[in-house]
Amino acid sequence: MREILADTIAFGRQYLRSPIGAFFAFIFPVLLILLFGAIFSGIGTSKVSLPVQDQDATPASRAFLDLLNRSPYVTVTMVPTDANLSDYIRANSLDVALEIPSGFGTAAAAKVPFNLTLFGDPSRTTYTQAANVVGAALVQTNFVLNGAQPVLGISARPIVSSSFTYMDYFLPGIVGMTVMTSSLYSMTSIAAEYRTRRYFKLLATTPLTKGGWLSAKIAFYFLLMVASLLVTLAVGVAAWQMHATLTAVPFALIAAGVVLFTSLGMLIGSVVKDPSSGIAIANAVGFPMMFLSGSFFQIEAMPGYLQTVARVLPLTYLNDGLRNAMIYGNSTLALTDLGIVSVLAVAVFFLAARLVSWKGR
Amino acid sequence: MVYAIETQGLVKSYGALTAVDHLDLTVATGSIYALLGPNGAGKTTAVEILEGIRTLSRGRARVLGEDVANDYARVRSRIGALPQDFEPFDRLSPLETVLYWSRLFGRSLSRPDAVRLLEAVGLQERMGVPALRLSGGEKRKLGMAIALVPEPELLFLDEPTTGLDPSARREVWQLVRGVRKEGRTVLLTTHYLDEAEQLADDVGILHRGRLVAEGRPEELIARNAGRTLIVLGGAGAAGLREVEAEGFPARLDREDVLVPVADPTEMRAALGRLAALRTPFADMYTRRSSLEDVFLQIVGSRMEEGVLQA
Repeated sequence: MREILADTIAFGRQYLRSPIGAFFAFIFPVLLILLFGAIFSGIGTSKVSLPVQDQDATPASRAFLDLLNRSPYVTVTMVPTDANLSDYIRANSLDVALEIPSGFGTAAAAKVPFNLTLFGDPSRTTYTQAANVVGAALVQTNFVLNGAQPVLGISARPIVSSSFTYMDYFLPGIVGMTVMTSSLYSMTSIAAEYRTRRYFKLLATTPLTKGGWLSAKIAFYFLLMVASLLVTLAVGVAAWQMHATLTAVPFALIAAGVVLFTSLGMLIGSVVKDPSSGIAIANAVGFPMMFLSGSFFQIEAMPGYLQTVARVLPLTYLNDGLRNAMIYGNSTLALTDLGIVSVLAVAVFFLAARLVSWKGR
Repeated sequence: MVYAIETQGLVKSYGALTAVDHLDLTVATGSIYALLGPNGAGKTTAVEILEGIRTLSRGRARVLGEDVANDYARVRSRIGALPQDFEPFDRLSPLETVLYWSRLFGRSLSRPDAVRLLEAVGLQERMGVPALRLSGGEKRKLGMAIALVPEPELLFLDEPTTGLDPSARREVWQLVRGVRKEGRTVLLTTHYLDEAEQLADDVGILHRGRLVAEGRPEELIARNAGRTLIVLGGAGAAGLREVEAEGFPARLDREDVLVPVADPTEMRAALGRLAALRTPFADMYTRRSSLEDVFLQIVGSRMEEGVLQA
């Protein structure tokens, strides 16, 4: 019995002294409770933006807009009346927009059935939230107009594809997350191992340069990620009938993401004490990014302060870019996201190649 | 004479600590030079500067005619190196490692060439197993193999036999001699005095970062320890005092008194005088001086497994 106790204590001591053990025992659950709690507890303001095109411009439509504006769950923004709303939504990658067609005021006064048009992507939670707010406002308006008898209603007009589902939204997020985790986590561990086992010093005696070594890792992870994308897509299509369009842009985004996260991994791996400390730090960097960058949940559905955090995380732009390119077919926004990820990637690559020394002091 | 390595006033310091202190070194092309010294003497630091993987603080160093501080890229593919703490890549086999290394040097060895190289270092039986499963000696041999991959003009071997058993050490010595026979230069560091004596054309003794003695082993022995020693076993400090009073140069090695005799014609007379000492001793015998005696003479301590003895 005494030897079992002694062994338990000795093992526990070693386990807790290992950074990775401490991370998964304490930091990981704390991170999860904080992240999920913040995302789902409704802390802060969780307003979604609701662009509205008021083609009616009557006192009745303005009264309805006032009603929407009073909701704590949407922020109404006005769309110019001369814009084609479908094009406007695509150009701005909006999830949802409401059209108040001309005739709204007349129909309300005459108490004849009339529908507002809700454009958007029903697979997005922001669409659902906006639809609920518009629905509630219509119920209230109907009640004032005609008691319980409904007069005004919503007609939904999906703007991406009527068959898009949450899984379609999910796919680019999974791809983005895989790019981040595979490159960042393994590179942190590899760089730490190469440093502590002095492989860097050994390689420094060859004509291979630091930049060359990092480029080789980037090339490998790019091929790995392309293969992973194709496998994930094939499984997604076979199992869930997912939809995605593959152009050059998603591959360019994956390349930029791999450069960024591989270089970041090299930077972290070059300063940590050993590979297990590296994994712990990579987890501490990677987990919040995984949950806050829109891989699994829409950023717009998060509390405002988390949305601010999300906007400074590079994975957000990778995920957004992949979604814009693969799902929404919005190449303008996808290229903007690609530009942001590429600039960050080049900066971190040169930082890693410059700051990381594989020679002795 | 053409030198593969030349340093002048080479200094490497870390704050107040001077790891290499004004090192002037010349290594002749085609020779084996052994840098000898205890752990912490500055051997590895000096070699890493010459390998171009550590910066120098002051002084100059040229390797194969190129300045190490500025022009190393030009000689990188002409040198081979076995670091002191060499560890192979665990999940690559020796054959895969050699082929990988050859591509890093732009040589792209064929498989039969790689196999021949592994045969040369005695790893042919283990060329397909992951390096993780190699013994310490086999890992060292793999390190030798990859150091030889670029067919280097200059080979750096940092403590190539540390931790090896006697038979593995002899195998490594054979390899090193083979490299020299091919006309290449070898700079090796070691704390094994017999290794330096067996292998090296020239020896430099490094102590606290300074080169305290340099020369051919037999010259060093003749200059510093005498060619032959008379050993008075167990004579102790009292014996040393009496021997010195008799006018002999002598020193104490643990409890033994060592009396160097430079001229063999004086041996018989010296033995006679020492046999008549009043101080008791356990035994008296003669032996050839070695680098160990030189080291003891110069540094003032013996060295065992790289550690200076009190």
